[in-house]
Amino acid sequence: MSCANPLKHIPALAASHLKHEWILTFCLVIALAAVIAPLLVLLGLKYGTIQTLRERLVEDPIFREIRPSQTREFSPQWFDELQSWPGIGFVTPTILPLSSVISVVASGGRNSELFDLIPTAAGDPLLLENGGVVPTDGEVVLSAEAARRSAVAPGDEITVKVTRSRGGRPEHVEERLRVVSILSPRAGSLARVYAPLAFVLDVEGYKEGYAAPSRGWPGDTPQPYPSFDGALLLMPKPMLPIARSGLIINTGFGRIVDGSAKDAAELLGFPVPEELTVYNLLAPGAPVTITNLRAIEQKLRGQTGVLLPYVRGLDMAVDGSRTAPIGLSIDERQAELLGIHSTPWGRFGGTLPENGQLVHVLWPAATPTTATEIAVRAVGVAELDFPLRVAGSTSLSRPVVPVELLGVLRTATQRPIVFNPATDHFEMARGGYRGFRLYARSIDDVPALYHRLKSEGIEVIAEVEAIERIQVLDRGLSRLFWLIALLGLFGSTAVLVSSLYAAVERRRRDLGVLRLLGFARRHVFFFPIAQGIMIAALGLMLGFGGYAALAQVINHAFASELAPGEAFCTLPAQYLPIFCLATLVLATLASLVAAWRATGIDPAEVIREQ
Amino acid sequence: MASVVSETAFAPMVCLEGLVKTRSQSESVFELEVPGFTVQPGQMVAVIGESGCGKSTLLDIIALVMTPSAVARFEIANGAAGMVSDVAALWANDDEDALTALRRDAFGYVLQTGGLLPFLSVRQNICLPARIKGRRLSQARVEGLAKSLGLAGCLDRMPVSLSIGQRQRAAIARALAHQPRLLLADEPTAAVDKARARSIMDDMQRLAREESVAVVVVTHDVELIVDRADAAYTFETVQLSEQHSRSICRPAEGLCP
Repeated sequence: MSCANPLKHIPALAASHLKHEWILTFCLVIALAAVIAPLLVLLGLKYGTIQTLRERLVEDPIFREIRPSQTREFSPQWFDELQSWPGIGFVTPTILPLSSVISVVASGGRNSELFDLIPTAAGDPLLLENGGVVPTDGEVVLSAEAARRSAVAPGDEITVKVTRSRGGRPEHVEERLRVVSILSPRAGSLARVYAPLAFVLDVEGYKEGYAAPSRGWPGDTPQPYPSFDGALLLMPKPMLPIARSGLIINTGFGRIVDGSAKDAAELLGFPVPEELTVYNLLAPGAPVTITNLRAIEQKLRGQTGVLLPYVRGLDMAVDGSRTAPIGLSIDERQAELLGIHSTPWGRFGGTLPENGQLVHVLWPAATPTTATEIAVRAVGVAELDFPLRVAGSTSLSRPVVPVELLGVLRTATQRPIVFNPATDHFEMARGGYRGFRLYARSIDDVPALYHRLKSEGIEVIAEVEAIERIQVLDRGLSRLFWLIALLGLFGSTAVLVSSLYAAVERRRRDLGVLRLLGFARRHVFFFPIAQGIMIAALGLMLGFGGYAALAQVINHAFASELAPGEAFCTLPAQYLPIFCLATLVLATLASLVAAWRATGIDPAEVIREQ
Repeated sequence: MASVVSETAFAPMVCLEGLVKTRSQSESVFELEVPGFTVQPGQMVAVIGESGCGKSTLLDIIALVMTPSAVARFEIANGAAGMVSDVAALWANDDEDALTALRRDAFGYVLQTGGLLPFLSVRQNICLPARIKGRRLSQARVEGLAKSLGLAGCLDRMPVSLSIGQRQRAAIARALAHQPRLLLADEPTAAVDKARARSIMDDMQRLAREESVAVVVVTHDVELIVDRADAAYTFETVQLSEQHSRSICRPAEGLCP
């Protein structure tokens, strides 16, 4: 009938009405602001105080640190897993406290000082939040005390001296490092040198006797040692009983057992001549090492016989199939006695075969292969992949590898070992770290991390109490705020409900005229709602004005207690839209009663004045 | 909606037949009977009677704010094309939106004391019905209406600052501004003295003619209306019992030409 939309005129009419009765409107707005402003101040005080207390803790990374209180081993996998925990801000492994002492001489200085070497890495809050930068390789950061004692400034060079004692002889290496920054005293009162983890691990390794090739530091390479389950002694003639029982004394072997050629074939994987006498040397409860075997060979010097170490039950896949290769390292003379060919890598000696011969294989002639490399996967502490290089063929039924290789693989079932294809060497994998430096992302994450680490049986130290105290205070103040807010809410809602209702009653005639002029019930329904929202909006504005003024006064009054940038009474910006929205929704709800009342007005009653 | 609108050649503005409205208050029952009531387009119809005779009830029913108890025919001309709205059917369907829209589009009201909205200026009051209809009044029309009603200087004043006579004139301006086809006036001059009443009636009649708007005036003042109305209706009250009275509305013979 008509495309008119009377509803859109309701807000303007409602506003005109409020303007016409401006004194009543003003009183309502004031009443509302009188609730809103104190609530905002209260919320601001709660937020501001807690925030100030928190920031004072947050500012100092010490409060976010979680330190292990005991030295134990943490595997690299554990660190990988730790990284994925929620709330972790920064974590780096550390080394044994004893290994971390280094002697430092400032370039041009004479006195050397003993400092603690601490590993660091990108994102270290202790450095970044105490005026430092994270050092890269060749750089260090000094604590305030270390800088004072060695009298260096940022940009200076220092000489770090790492000492060790190897074989009873003192040794040392030196490294020149540049000081990139010096931390503020807040970072700690101890004399400390912060360096990248790689450098710190090299220092630890050097102190344990290992070399650091990349730095030119001499020492052992962490090569895995072979170990065996036992050894067979094959003699052309039986030994005299006294020689037999004397053989194992002081060699580390515990028992010597007579065996048969059949036993020998089973343990070695190939048949041995029947006429040989077989003795099985055993060391129950301990692995047989090169030292043990050397001791036996010493005792056998001058006698004819072959000592063959063996390994039992190795689990490995050679070229995809489960085969147990024969481990054999013999020279011509031994081969002659056994009636087989010698091995190109020579007889079993005190060291591992060099020039890559450790991973050579003789392939059975019965099943010829054209491959030069055969992939092997051995199952140890972790899976160990490496290639075998075909160095010839053998008349034996199974592939023949150096017995030292089987010894290394046996060790791999007890210690983690990796194969380094670049050097063709097996290496001991890094066992683990002796500690960690951990910082939570925020102080709120500290208690959860602290309790989680404790539940994993790791004793740790953290400033949990100070943090939990603030959290308790925060919760308490929140509860208090909500109680008071609830009270104010009831009051202001009651004021709005009654005032809007009264306005509808007072203006029955005018609302009736509106109905008569062509507004439907559902149109006048929105008249009180529009008014409620307008009053609430005005109340909010006045309330925020009051809050801003009072907050300024409060912060000014306490200025002497506060650091620059701190405020006792402040609200985060994201609270404001929530607060406004909540108020407007409440005002809408409060106006519903009046709105319902307005729909009940009958235009007939206003045609005549009663 | 289509079912209640039909086309007739010369539709009367308002056509009522066989209306009965029963109102009971505590023990007493009042019955209004209107056998026939017609307003032709552009006609001025007077409804004359003492208070309590049911003339306001009749106006409420015509104004579409009171539902009849029974009615044989109740039609209101809707638009210039001779369309007719079947109000009886609208009430039967309880189609309040359609009734409100009809009221908005076709009617203008002048109440006893004007019924101006006190929180709007005179100008805003005059413009309001047109705005609700979704139209914007030209300032020339507002000024012209105000001038012809002697309100030239009062447009931007609030109703409270006007005299009662001025308020009634402003109410007439508001009732006519959006170009309704029927003006309903309920004792529009009850609150002013005779001389002013006459002058207001004159102006209302003149403007209604100019705008060709039909007028229904409810009044108790026969003298005031007798020379102006094209037709008049009056009431005949019968006391059926102590508590039961009946009022019948009939054309008043001899009052009008």
